[in-house]
Amino acid sequence: MPRYKIADVVFDAKLIYGYTEKLCKKYEYDGDEPVKFVAEVTQEDIKAEQVLAEEFPPAYLESLALFRKLCNYCLKNANGIVFHSSAIAVDGNAYLFTAPSGTGKSTHSRLWRELLGDRAFMVNDDKPMVRYEDGAFYVYGTPWNGKHRLDTNCKVKIKAICAISQAKENSIRKATTAEMLITILNQTIRPQDQEDMDKLLKLIEKMLTEVELYKLGCNISREAAELSYKTMSGDNL
Amino acid sequence: MKIKDGFILREVAGNYIVVAVGNAVKDFNGVITLNETGSFLWKKLEKGATEEELKTALLEEYDVTEEIATRDIGLFVKKLTDAGLVK
Repeated sequence: MPRYKIADVVFDAKLIYGYTEKLCKKYEYDGDEPVKFVAEVTQEDIKAEQVLAEEFPPAYLESLALFRKLCNYCLKNANGIVFHSSAIAVDGNAYLFTAPSGTGKSTHSRLWRELLGDRAFMVNDDKPMVRYEDGAFYVYGTPWNGKHRLDTNCKVKIKAICAISQAKENSIRKATTAEMLITILNQTIRPQDQEDMDKLLKLIEKMLTEVELYKLGCNISREAAELSYKTMSGDNL
Repeated sequence: MKIKDGFILREVAGNYIVVAVGNAVKDFNGVITLNETGSFLWKKLEKGATEEELKTALLEEYDVTEEIATRDIGLFVKKLTDAGLVK
């Protein structure tokens, strides 16, 4: 049974297909930290994923089912939530670009890498985990890394969250907590259980008050990346 | 008129939202935002209230004319009914 450490949570996984093992390879763990839980993916779990995303093969759905179990554990026990976003790290600070699929968050973080070169690296391009620890928010790489397969097995302190929309002209401003609350709720997994829902909302509330929030309208250009990077980092390049 | 089970009002960083939990998730998967007056009326409806009772409560709590209170409550109740949140 493979053992993984993802978002600083050590767990064993009982899997059916080989795909998920391959996907999670980089996160295999053979250290001494205690195993927090066993994630057993069953055919029922895979069927449940199929209801949500029917066009995918079972092996892929299994990886989603494992992800859901990890998210569930993190919310219940580790102050952790998944945040559908493209998370990039620069000089030890992480920036999370979020938007509905297809808006261009991966494109924008690619523009940052082109602008900043070796100073920037991807934490995760699609489904990073966010955890609240010792009074600060951190983002973790996970194997669920999006279509460009970009992730690093790492932990970086979050500096800012930025909601992206497409626009002809580039502009950026601080986002209100009201705007960002809805954005975050739409880009995470919402639990059915009321106690878990309250945990989620408490975490989001902390995030809204402790992390810088921005709204960016952008086109695909170096200027767009310059504007968002300079504004959010305070670095004039 | 009463809010159906499974719809919960929460204040998050000064913002009022309603989300579904438990079996209600099957019927409603969105997020509703309410302003302060909306959350005031919602809390009354959690315990069950008629439109008349809502109006009395609103007039007591807020500096608003009866005409506007009646109109706003009508709109609010219609929205909740259309979204299937009340029984």
